[in-house]
Amino acid sequence: MTTALIFHPGYLLHEQSRDHPERKERLSYTMDQIREEGLMQHPAVKVIAPKEATIEEVSRVHIPEYLAFLEHSSKKGGFIDFDTNVPVGLFPHALLAAGGAIRAADAVLDGEVENAFALIRPPGHHARQGTGAGFCYLNNMAIMVRHVQGRGIRRVMILDWDAHHGDGTQMIFYEDPSVLFTSIHQMPFYPGSGSVDETGSGRGAGFTANMPVPAGTGDESYRYLFETVIEPLAREFSPELIAVSAGQDNHYTDPLTGLALTARGYAGLMKHAVALARELCGGRLVAILEGGYSVEGGLPYTNLGIIAAMADLDLQSIREPAIYGEWLARAADPSAHARVIENAASLRTHLAPFWACFR
Amino acid sequence: MLIGMDVGGTNTDIAMVGEEVASEKISNARGMREALRTIRAPGRLAVSTSTPLNRVLAGQPVAVQTILVPGPGLFWPGGVKGAVNHCGDLVECIDPGEIAGILSREHGDALAIAGKFSVRNPALEKEVAALALEYYAEDRIAQSYHLAELGYPGRIATTRLNASMKETVTHLAGEIAAGRGDFLFFKGDGGLIPPDYAVNNPSVLAHSSAAAVALGAYYLTGITDCTVVDIGGTTTDLVPLERGIPMMDFLTFHGERTVTRAVVAESLPFGGDSLVEEGLIPRRLGDALAFGGSHPTLTDALNVAGEEIGDADASRRLSREDAVRAVADYLDRVSSAVSSLNARHLVGAGYLAPFLVPEIARRSGARYTIPPHWDCANAVGVAVSRVSLTLHARFDSGRGWVDLNGEHRPLHTMGDDDAILEMCREEVRRRAIAAGAHPGDVKDVEVLHFNSFDVVRSAYRSARIADVVVQVAPGISVEAR
Repeated sequence: MTTALIFHPGYLLHEQSRDHPERKERLSYTMDQIREEGLMQHPAVKVIAPKEATIEEVSRVHIPEYLAFLEHSSKKGGFIDFDTNVPVGLFPHALLAAGGAIRAADAVLDGEVENAFALIRPPGHHARQGTGAGFCYLNNMAIMVRHVQGRGIRRVMILDWDAHHGDGTQMIFYEDPSVLFTSIHQMPFYPGSGSVDETGSGRGAGFTANMPVPAGTGDESYRYLFETVIEPLAREFSPELIAVSAGQDNHYTDPLTGLALTARGYAGLMKHAVALARELCGGRLVAILEGGYSVEGGLPYTNLGIIAAMADLDLQSIREPAIYGEWLARAADPSAHARVIENAASLRTHLAPFWACFR
Repeated sequence: MLIGMDVGGTNTDIAMVGEEVASEKISNARGMREALRTIRAPGRLAVSTSTPLNRVLAGQPVAVQTILVPGPGLFWPGGVKGAVNHCGDLVECIDPGEIAGILSREHGDALAIAGKFSVRNPALEKEVAALALEYYAEDRIAQSYHLAELGYPGRIATTRLNASMKETVTHLAGEIAAGRGDFLFFKGDGGLIPPDYAVNNPSVLAHSSAAAVALGAYYLTGITDCTVVDIGGTTTDLVPLERGIPMMDFLTFHGERTVTRAVVAESLPFGGDSLVEEGLIPRRLGDALAFGGSHPTLTDALNVAGEEIGDADASRRLSREDAVRAVADYLDRVSSAVSSLNARHLVGAGYLAPFLVPEIARRSGARYTIPPHWDCANAVGVAVSRVSLTLHARFDSGRGWVDLNGEHRPLHTMGDDDAILEMCREEVRRRAIAAGAHPGDVKDVEVLHFNSFDVVRSAYRSARIADVVVQVAPGISVEAR
C-alpha cells in the first residue's frame, strides 16, 4: 500500500506578513527535502494535488457569518487577533488547505492509498466555528472529519500532537461522542486551554483527553503517553479512522516552543499511530500539517520522518545533523518525564468514569 | 552552413544544410576521422552519437563503484560520513580515512560519487573526487552535482550511468575536436550542448538518434502530428510527434529512473540488415548480400520480391519463398506496432523507407509521406537543431552566493523576483550564445520553476532565497528556417 502526499504549489503562497512565523519558508525547505529524497517519484508515495474545498464543505464546521467575514476581509485585508491577520487573497488559500485535508481523507476512504499526509498551509486547529485564531482560519481537521462522517465513517479519533493545544478542534467536538479528541501539548502555553479536567460535556463527556506536558519533554514521554493513554483509549473507542493533527513544533529546535522531541521521536510516534490504525481500522490514517516553526532546523527532518513512517520506509537515518546535538541538550529537561507521568495518572482518574481501560 | 552528423550502428550519416540540403553516408568501418574529413564546407558541426554509447551500455558491463554521502534522511546502505543540508550548509564532514579505506579495498572500472544536496553545495563530492584521483583516472569519475537538480535517487542512477560512459564520451569529444575543432553534441531531448557539458553529464547523449530523426522529419515535411517510421540497419524506430514535438520521458538505467529526459521511441529489433534464415531474425551479421555481405537480410528479401536495391543480383541467392515470408513478417510486425500507436500519418525515414513505408501505411490505414533526404533525415535533424541549455539557479542572499548548475558564485546584490528571473534568463542566453547559439535562437527562454521566500531569523527578515529553473528549449534553429 502507498502513502499519499497532498501538496499544491499554492501552499507556498500564503503569508500574513513577510516576518510572520507562519510563512512560506516553513514548507519550502520541507519540499526541498522531499524532492531531494526522491519521494515525489517513490513507489510507496503518491503525490496528489487537491482542489479548494467548497463553501458547503467548510460550512459543516464554520458559521456563515464567519465565512462571509473571511471572504470579505481577504479582499482588502483584515484582523482577527494579534497573531492572525487576514492578508489580501487569503480566502482561496484557506479553502485550498481545507480542500487538501478533504482530498487526503478521500484518497484513504477510496482505497487509493493506505494513509495520507496533507502538507497544507495555513494550519487550522485553533480555528473555531465562528473565528480564526493562532495563525489558523479554517479548521482543516474538523472540516475533514465532518466530510468523512458524511461519507459514512461513524467514529473518528483525533490525535493532536502540535505543541499548542488544539482548542478550536476541541471546542468543535466537545459535545460530540462520535469524535474522540486527544491532544499532547506544552502547558502552560498558548492558548492556555487543554488541562486534564477538560474531558468533554453533554453527550461528548469523556470524549476529550488532554495530555499537557511541561517544557523540556522529549521522546520518552511521548512514547509513554502513547502507550499508556492513547493506545488503551483507541482500543476501547474503536475508531474507523485515525486523524493526526501533525504539528511539528515539538522539535527541540523550534523557536516558538520549549519541547524536546527529535525527528526520530516523531517518526517513532507516527510508526505507532500507523500500527494502531492497522490494528483498529484497516490502516486508515490521515495526517494534517499544523504548526512547526523550526524552518531552518528540524522541520524538514521531522516532516520527512513522518512520511517515512507512514510509508513503511527504513527509519534508521531519520535524524538531525550531528551539529544540532548541543541544541537538544539545552532543550531537554530530565525532570519533565516525572511530571508527564503524574499528569497522565491524573488524566486517567478524570477519564475513569467513562473508560473501562482506566478503571 | 549547418552540418549534422549521426553516427549509427552501421553508417555515419552527414547532412549539410545551407541554401540546399546535401547528404552523405559513410561506413563506420572507415572511422570517425575519415567521416570528419568528408565535411569540406565550413560551418557549425553538431554530432549525434547515441549508438556507440548504446553499445557501451549493451556491451560488457562497466563495473561502477559508488560512493554515497547521504547524511540524515532516508536510508542509503553503505553511505559514508558527511552531510550537506537543504540550505547547502556543510553540517557534517567526511572522514578521509573512511573514503581511502573503501577505495583501497574495492575497485571498479569507474567511480560514481553522489552526495545528498550536493547540488546546493558540491564541496563534499569534490573532496571525495580529489581523494579518488589516486585510484581512478579523472575521466572515470562522475559526480552528481553537475546534474544540478534535486532528486537524490535519480541523481545516483544518472551518476552511475555517467561514470560508465564518461571515458568514452571524453575520448570521442577529443577525437572530434582534433579532427574538426569546435563542435556541439546533440542530446536525446533534441537540443545541442557544448562538449564539456556532455563530458560532465554524458547521459544526455543517450537515445539521441530518435530525437534526431524526429526533428529531421519535422523539418523536412513541416508535418506537426505524425509518427516517424525510421528504418535503420538493425532497428525500426517509431517516434510519435505532437504539434511538432516528440514525447519525452526520463531515461532508466538498470531499472532505475535517471534525471535525464529523452525522446520516447518504440524500437523494434528489425531493420534492413536483419538476418533472413527461415524467417526474419532480429540479429545483424554484417551487410546485406546486395552490399557485399555474406548473409541474406531483409534488404535482399526486398530485392528478391522485385526491388532494385544495391547489387540486386547478389540477393538472388535467397529463395523467393523465404524472401516473401521475411518481408511479410516485417510488415506485419511494424504495421501492428503502428496500429497500436493509433498513428494517422506516417513519415518514412531511413534508406529503406520508400520500399516499406507505403505498405506499412496501407496495412495500418494511415497516410504516409516520404520526405526528400529520407535516408539522412536523422543527420538533417542534428544539423538544424539549436543550442538548448537549462540553468538551475539558487540565490541565497544570507549565505552570499548564487548556485548556477551546481557551482557557487558570490552574490553581491539580489533584486526582486522580476530582477532574479531576468538575471537567469540573461545568464542562460549568455551561456547559450557562448556555446555557439544563434542570437535568434535564445529569444524565448522558458521559466520551468520559480519559488522565492524570505528567511526570517529571530522574527527579522535576514535574507532571501530564490530557486529558478530556466531553459532555452530544444527546437529548430532560426538559421535553418
